[in-house]
Amino acid sequence: MINVLFFGRLGDFAKQVPSTIEASTPAEIRELLAADFPELVRELNQPQVLVSVNKMIVGWDQPLFDGGEVAFLPPVTGG
Amino acid sequence: MTDRIRIQEQDFDLAEEYQLLRQTDSAVGAVVTFSGLVRDFEVNAEEAGSVMNSIDSLSLQHYPGMTESLLEKIVEEANQRWNLIATTVIHRVGDLAPKDQIVLVGVASQHRADAFEAAQFLMDYLKTKATFWKSVKRNGEHQWIESKASDQQAAARWDGSDDK
Repeated sequence: MINVLFFGRLGDFAKQVPSTIEASTPAEIRELLAADFPELVRELNQPQVLVSVNKMIVGWDQPLFDGGEVAFLPPVTGG
Repeated sequence: MTDRIRIQEQDFDLAEEYQLLRQTDSAVGAVVTFSGLVRDFEVNAEEAGSVMNSIDSLSLQHYPGMTESLLEKIVEEANQRWNLIATTVIHRVGDLAPKDQIVLVGVASQHRADAFEAAQFLMDYLKTKATFWKSVKRNGEHQWIESKASDQQAAARWDGSDDK
């Protein structure tokens, strides 16, 4: 299973998403969510949204391994 | 070089942080500190005429573990680009009120140009790359802050030949 995190505004759309999902890439997680969470997936499809695996920014097709952590990151606003 | 990176809920003491930077080494000839505060308004440039919206409070979320490693990397990069003696980055998270301190960047160097430039570089990075997200409360409603094009433009000035 993969641990899945949603930050910033994405979290507002992901309150009902399970915290672990079985998937082989971040892109597959997005596909799996499409039916039940269309608003969230519309947000995930924004080009500025980045994805990280085990706290490193990666591409959407990065292979996932059991116990890994995927996070979806909207544009940051620190400072 | 002496680098201190902290992400914390509690406030920080600018005078104390300045003293730490100042006392690092007798070669320190310049200390630049920047502190960012919570304003009581947010400018929404997307709305016609840049509407100013007043806010009641601000909340900062971050990605624990990732933020720290990103900040370590960027402070390392600042050390490669400039001749620095000590660097302090403190970023607060959690709930903050107008006038609260949010962020401190402090840089000590032999000469002022290094400290000024490195402080700008670190702030531009914090604004555009580090994994922090701000939301505001306004009349009891919570709203995420949009990232600003002006911050992206400010950060783009560092994307020179010696950037990765």
